[in-house]
Amino acid sequence: MVLIPRAQYEAIIAHARREAPREACGLVAGHGERIERVYPVANRAELAVEFFAERGLIPPGRDYRPEAPGSIAVERFFMDPEEQFRVLREIEASGLEHLGSYHSHPATEAYPSRTDVELAAFWPGMLLMICSLADPARPVLRAFRVVDGQVQEEPVVVED
Amino acid sequence: MAVTILIPAPLRRFTGERASVEVEASTVAEALAKLDQLYPGIRERICEPDGRIRRFVSVFVNGKDVRSLQGVETPLQDGDEVGIIPAMAGGQWS
Repeated sequence: MVLIPRAQYEAIIAHARREAPREACGLVAGHGERIERVYPVANRAELAVEFFAERGLIPPGRDYRPEAPGSIAVERFFMDPEEQFRVLREIEASGLEHLGSYHSHPATEAYPSRTDVELAAFWPGMLLMICSLADPARPVLRAFRVVDGQVQEEPVVVED
Repeated sequence: MAVTILIPAPLRRFTGERASVEVEASTVAEALAKLDQLYPGIRERICEPDGRIRRFVSVFVNGKDVRSLQGVETPLQDGDEVGIIPAMAGGQWS
């Protein structure tokens, strides 16, 4: 189970909407199963072409340049490393635990893609929160953990 | 130079859960080599066999990504902080 205050829940959805059609991404921190803060982090997918290519995560024939029509940059996220590092330090300094990350799926369901599962291996067991805007009127936020390639869902409880 | 290496959570199983390790080193490469002497196997999580930093890892000196400095040859000063983090990435299709 994941507990998240209404304001943080709304912050993730608002960030996802701001970035759409690109993916939004960020980090979440708190204590135990309770998220207390969310931290938007810049998405630098367009700078990570080789990173995705060497894992076979760019479909053949797709353009990666962010301005190109049909660019796959809108379908990937790669957190800005310096900002990610800075936020992790800030989380530590504030006495919170780094619980995991969030990102948006502007056009698909709130479930980890093959790419998500593969790349979650760098942060095993961490919370992976996904916000779907597939139905723009009804955003969906779900939480998962990927352990040894297996996806486990954690029910999200929004606290008012 | 005494420098502090900050160990990210996913690599702390190598360091007995320690979040930071002090070593004497004058470059990033030397710091990572010293770290590997203390905790064998950790360097191959960070570097390719030829010594370059792996693409899905970023290494920082005082918060600056060493890719924008001199890579693993980036010099270190007394008191510098060397940070390491794996990428956080994903995407909505396949």
